[in-house]
Amino acid sequence: MPTSNDATPTELDVRIWRGGEDGAYAHYRVPFRESQTVLDVVTFVQRHLDSTLSYRFACRVGMCGSCAMTVNGAPRWTCRTHVSKVAEDGVITIGPLRNLPVIKDLACDMTEFFEKWQRAKGRFSPTRSRREPFERISPETPKRKAVDAGIECINCGVCYSACEVVSLRRDYLGPAALNRAWTLVNDTRDAEHDARIAAVSGDAGCHNCHSHQSCVDHCPKQLSPTASIAGLKRASVGAAWRRLTGR
Amino acid sequence: MLERDATDILILGSGGAGLFAALHAHQTNPRLAITVASKGLLGKSGCTRMVQGGYNVALDPKDSVERHFMDTIEGGKWLPHQGLAWKLVETAIERVHELENEIGCFFDRNPDGTLHGKAFAGQTFDRTVHKGDLTGIEIINRLMEQVWARPIRRLEEHRAVGLVPRADGGGIAGVLMIDVRTGRFRYVAARAVLLATGGGPTMYRYHTPSGDKSMDGLAMALRAGLALRDMEMVQFHPTGLLAGPDTRMTGTVLEEGLRGAGGHLLNGHGHRFMEAYAERAERATRDIVSRAIYDQMRKGNTTPNGGVHISMGHLGPDNVRRQFKGMVERCADCGFDLAGGLVEVVPTAHYLMGGVVCEPDTTTTIPGLYVAGEDAGGVHGANRLGGNGVANSTVYGGVAGEEMARWVGAGNGGGAPDESLLTAEIDRALHPFRHGRGDVNALRDALLDVMWDDVGVIRTADGLRRGIGNLEGLHAELLETGVADVDRAFNLTWHDWLNLRSLIEVSEVIAHASLQRDDSRGAHFREDFPETRNLETSTFTVARAREGRVEMSDEPVEFTIVRPGESLIDTDEEAA
Repeated sequence: MPTSNDATPTELDVRIWRGGEDGAYAHYRVPFRESQTVLDVVTFVQRHLDSTLSYRFACRVGMCGSCAMTVNGAPRWTCRTHVSKVAEDGVITIGPLRNLPVIKDLACDMTEFFEKWQRAKGRFSPTRSRREPFERISPETPKRKAVDAGIECINCGVCYSACEVVSLRRDYLGPAALNRAWTLVNDTRDAEHDARIAAVSGDAGCHNCHSHQSCVDHCPKQLSPTASIAGLKRASVGAAWRRLTGR
Repeated sequence: MLERDATDILILGSGGAGLFAALHAHQTNPRLAITVASKGLLGKSGCTRMVQGGYNVALDPKDSVERHFMDTIEGGKWLPHQGLAWKLVETAIERVHELENEIGCFFDRNPDGTLHGKAFAGQTFDRTVHKGDLTGIEIINRLMEQVWARPIRRLEEHRAVGLVPRADGGGIAGVLMIDVRTGRFRYVAARAVLLATGGGPTMYRYHTPSGDKSMDGLAMALRAGLALRDMEMVQFHPTGLLAGPDTRMTGTVLEEGLRGAGGHLLNGHGHRFMEAYAERAERATRDIVSRAIYDQMRKGNTTPNGGVHISMGHLGPDNVRRQFKGMVERCADCGFDLAGGLVEVVPTAHYLMGGVVCEPDTTTTIPGLYVAGEDAGGVHGANRLGGNGVANSTVYGGVAGEEMARWVGAGNGGGAPDESLLTAEIDRALHPFRHGRGDVNALRDALLDVMWDDVGVIRTADGLRRGIGNLEGLHAELLETGVADVDRAFNLTWHDWLNLRSLIEVSEVIAHASLQRDDSRGAHFREDFPETRNLETSTFTVARAREGRVEMSDEPVEFTIVRPGESLIDTDEEAA
């Protein structure tokens, strides 16, 4: 058990969102620990100070993307955020993700996020069956590299929560769904390239992005949805040009 | 109070097994109503997602299913159900083709464009297909997308609490659940049910699985009268992160490859110790290294938090950073320097080989109830090869989906539930609200200690008997410990209580099975019986619940394909 001395703070001043959309912040004093993530702070409150606190977590190691919350104003994975990285004079403010409906306290409803993923045709459409051989694809081709650059997204919703455009227009597909669409546009095995470009070219699609790069700034995996969306914009314009010119 | 609805096929769990079952059931019979219920968000609460290594499959012409099979049987110390192991290795080939060609997983390639197979411990061929060191994320993300794209009903944040039999005794009728978000009960009638909630031995002080895992599947199976086999077989991974008692980081796995690449383990005095235990030193298998570290801990040669250190710096911090980017970043996020410094590690409970006794078609002894993934027992025997876990869940999840769809499509299943049992299950889940509020977390801490101290890496009859006594005490104490009934919506403390009850019940089985097996093999080590008995007369343990007590028996392993001393690989081939 780490002990405190005069040089280190002994307690954190923690503010946590309680309730639904119309909730409010509540204050808690949480003992400081040397090894302590924001998820550990939230867990301490639920286990020791207020047993009714609601939040979501699963894997503990940045693989499932369940525990994203707003920490001191910025969306983050709480399981991989050490307290020392975010505490300002021993104060931490923890709320639910922005841009998503709040279920209770720190847990959001992610349904619209995943529905938009589907609306952007964010799913593979096969050209081969399980009875056929694998497609040979050199790892060095530009398209494969473009896929690799965006594929490790774990759909945690951090970028979606950070995105100013989503805040302004709630039907915007958002950075994660568009990033996934871009990886599929570059997937030479996929059957639905044209339909996918059409799906992301509409009113709520890629052309809404103003390249604020909040998604890039906040992505815990250091992906660049902005670059993916720029790729989609080029592909979208190209497709429109081909339709106009008949080429 | 109780909402009721119905579906044809109900799948409990949304890891590799659950999602594959949904897709294959839909493919087999698109007219059926299929529902996937998940304790967390769909695809986010299973352990398949956490797979780092990869997927074992014999794709190379120089490899063979026979070779994969022999590695699985020998790795499992001749305990696996050979029919299950054979179907695993055989079907893995089609499953990986489906994952890549139809589901859209984009596995890593060789320079010539073919799929890359990497080397993995305990195997005689480099057959582990992967996507970097985040293979599980690729598999689950792609499966999730396909499930979302189909008319498959999602019951997210729905926790199954009881399997409800038919009133006429003819099989399963449905499942009682708690809608976590509202705190209300929902009974879902189903003609077929798949148990695919995953194991995950989170009852140990140090454990790797997702923190929401609680063995509900096995606890429900026991209560429904099913037999569990090989329950003493808990795999420990030697290097879990040790970051102190109050953080969820503790126990999370630091990958195998660190030792493979030449990482050193140092005890509290700063000395390497593995050479005294094994010729291959740090590169020895998981079980050997885990026992050696545990022995150092018993001797008190420990680091400040009570473990040992892993040291990578001598390999060059920049090299380590390059080769183990994800691990180094994860440690850095948590405040540790893996590339150049010392990181405290400890053996950590990783996987439960034991599970529900089932057939290769995933049926159980209850008509309409199927089982797949870590809830099923017998595939891995006494030890699981790294890379066979995700193969198991995806292969058998798919099999279950097809079998359920065919069985239901043929007009089977259905029937009214045993209403008195349904009422009893509701009553059981509400138990904590009838008692004065207590400290659920303190009981959880006590459970983790009992299992670690007496039912852990090294076991003895005396320790196991003590452990069983302590578990019984904790069980009784839990039933006297309540939760404040102020707001049932998204009430994690209520769920912590339910988690703890399932964990204690399954812990009791693990302890009894460990006492029953009086030899050492694979993951199970008895200090009082350190030798492995005659392989020819191998038996596996079987546990059942009878009137609240665990009843143990032994059953002979049937060597239906190969006998100890034999091999499916001929010696010429071996030499070539």
